[in-house]
Amino acid sequence: MDATIGWWDDFFWAGLEVIQVFFVAMVGTVALGLMGAAAKLSKSRTAQKIASGYTIFFRGTPEILVLFIIYYGSAITLTSIFQFFDPTIKFVDIPPFWAGSFGISLIVGAYATETFRGAFLGVDPGLIEASRALGISNLKTFFYVRVPEMWRLALPPFGNHMLSVIKDTALISIIGLDELLFVAEQGMGATAKPFPFFFAVGGIYLAFSTVITLTAMMLEKRANRHLEGSR
Amino acid sequence: MIKVFKIATLAATVLVAGFMQSASAEKLRVGMECTYAPFNFKNASGDLDGYDVDVAKGAAKLVGAELEFVCQKWDGMIPALLANKFDLIVASMSITEKRMKKIDFSAPYRISVGRLVGSNSMTTPLFDDAGKPIAENFAGLKIGTGRATTYSSWFEAKMPSAKVILYDSSEAMYLDLENGRVDMIMTNPMKAFLKFLSKPNGKGFKFVSPQIDEKKFFGVGVGIGMRKGNDALKAKLDKAVKTLSTNGSLEKYAHKYFPFAIHNEKWTQ
Amino acid sequence: MSIDIALTLESIPKMLMGIGVTFQLLFITLGLGTALAIVLLLMRISGRWYLSVPSMVYIYVFRGTPILVQVFIIYHGLPGLEFVRESIFWPILRDPFGCAVVALTLNTGAYVSEILRGGVLGVERGLLEAGSALGLSVRQRFIYITTPIAVRLATPAYSNDVISLMKSTALVSTITVVDMTGIARTIVAETYAPYEIFLSLAIVYLIITWGIQKSFGAFERRMSRHVKQETAA
Repeated sequence: MDATIGWWDDFFWAGLEVIQVFFVAMVGTVALGLMGAAAKLSKSRTAQKIASGYTIFFRGTPEILVLFIIYYGSAITLTSIFQFFDPTIKFVDIPPFWAGSFGISLIVGAYATETFRGAFLGVDPGLIEASRALGISNLKTFFYVRVPEMWRLALPPFGNHMLSVIKDTALISIIGLDELLFVAEQGMGATAKPFPFFFAVGGIYLAFSTVITLTAMMLEKRANRHLEGSR
Repeated sequence: MIKVFKIATLAATVLVAGFMQSASAEKLRVGMECTYAPFNFKNASGDLDGYDVDVAKGAAKLVGAELEFVCQKWDGMIPALLANKFDLIVASMSITEKRMKKIDFSAPYRISVGRLVGSNSMTTPLFDDAGKPIAENFAGLKIGTGRATTYSSWFEAKMPSAKVILYDSSEAMYLDLENGRVDMIMTNPMKAFLKFLSKPNGKGFKFVSPQIDEKKFFGVGVGIGMRKGNDALKAKLDKAVKTLSTNGSLEKYAHKYFPFAIHNEKWTQ
Repeated sequence: MSIDIALTLESIPKMLMGIGVTFQLLFITLGLGTALAIVLLLMRISGRWYLSVPSMVYIYVFRGTPILVQVFIIYHGLPGLEFVRESIFWPILRDPFGCAVVALTLNTGAYVSEILRGGVLGVERGLLEAGSALGLSVRQRFIYITTPIAVRLATPAYSNDVISLMKSTALVSTITVVDMTGIARTIVAETYAPYEIFLSLAIVYLIITWGIQKSFGAFERRMSRHVKQETAA
């Protein structure tokens, strides 16, 4: 293990990178998941088809491939799009951090779409009726009744989505982001001792996922606190 | 539902806006592997170091540009340059005809050669006295090279039937030679000598071929790669490299790692 | 930006040559992984702490770390240890394909065992009690009542895992295995056309995924043929 000593500060910064990617990707995942669920539940056939296409593509394509496509391909596409609006723009670049976070958001967002859709459908219509009968406006009903119920139902699979996000950050090392696995590869290259490095990386990720799992359990307890029999 | 959609779209747009970044023209981003000691690698204090890094910094000072280093896996190096991930490639990339079709290169700042490294127990000669490979003696041997390198191109052209294993990074390749996953590797002899053969883990290995530097595959040397169409930059970098060569900088950089200079004017066997 | 159709069309057959490797990897890992999952499941529900605790720890570790890290530890990390190189496992670990199988099996075993456990937990107690009233032993109840029902309940989640596994096979290109993704990366490295190649590869994977989903759908319908189906609203 002492082979890794000089590298602990690298691991620290890389760990921070992972946490940053996690939070950015989580925001993206929730946003895309909600957009997708809304589209699928809407009356518009077009919206449903687009959302379907989205979930099918990103749930069926290997994550590593999605990251490659976004990393290499996006700059070209986006540059063309932006140059259409403003020809003076030389190029639009996406650094690995944003390409990776965006890629993960797209992938886990596709799964989240299904989760949120199922959760919205699972909200007891009786609750909505009761809310309306009490004279609560549509908007208020949405935020105070529908969303909390949906959230409670979505939590268990959502916890898995959070775990997926943090584990997928390891893939960004392949497109050059200075996260934990990339640091381990550099360390392995410099010291020719691969095992301690990868073992350490595994340990750090395990620590992260433990924190996430515990957080998810706490959130579940809190969301269910009003139910009878929940301890 | 519409509300959800609107709010979510707003959030997504804000995020997407944050994803965009336009780079400025004064700064040059340099792509390199970062795992290719002693040419470009991360040292124990976490800084980028190596011959390529020194050349990049020296050239940048001469052309008056600020540098930013971007790490990139080797097989994606040129696609990444073309996709605007960075502006220059200073990664010991050889100036070959195939590559020149897609990108421009500066004047060479280092020679480009390859050599095979295998275990000490290899006794059958793989090359004849004229330096030509003896195809039959390669049968059944597993050879490691990097994906999309001059070495893999050489093997493909010379011995299409050889079992070549392609690696993402040179470090993984050396490790696999050590633990016996491949019988030989084709690599840069300077790196092989410095980082492997002269170290304890390289004790059981040796060079099993003469130096190979066929121009067709290895080009005139390694140069700084850049996107086509930027002749002004190319001219500036050409001049910078020439200056680094004549004012002894290249030699100084090389001496940090080798007892000899490794750029074209000074290279001897 | 122009899309090079010609390049895409001539690259697809080259990439498809790797499909054999992808499928071999998928089926071998599925078989071994499911077997491992059953063992882990039996250990987990055995009620004996010296069996269930190791099983829980194993599942926790393998579900809590990224699969790429597991692949790297097995491929790069293990050979660095002397005793691994001398052991009987070395011929398997020496070969990149062998390493890939080992890593993916260990990983999928953990996930599938949790899926199976979900299925087992979903069996209604009433059915088991009926079985007990009819005089069936614990073992008989498990084999004839729990298992068929658990399998049916677990099938949707299992099909998701099979698709996940298929997607994970793309990772083995990082340890020199020549599967479809590996071939694609080589083509991209030589032709510098990442968009066209990777997009067409994605479509290939989508077709395979679609095929897997359809097969499982048919399987599920057959397993559920005794269950009253709700008419679609």
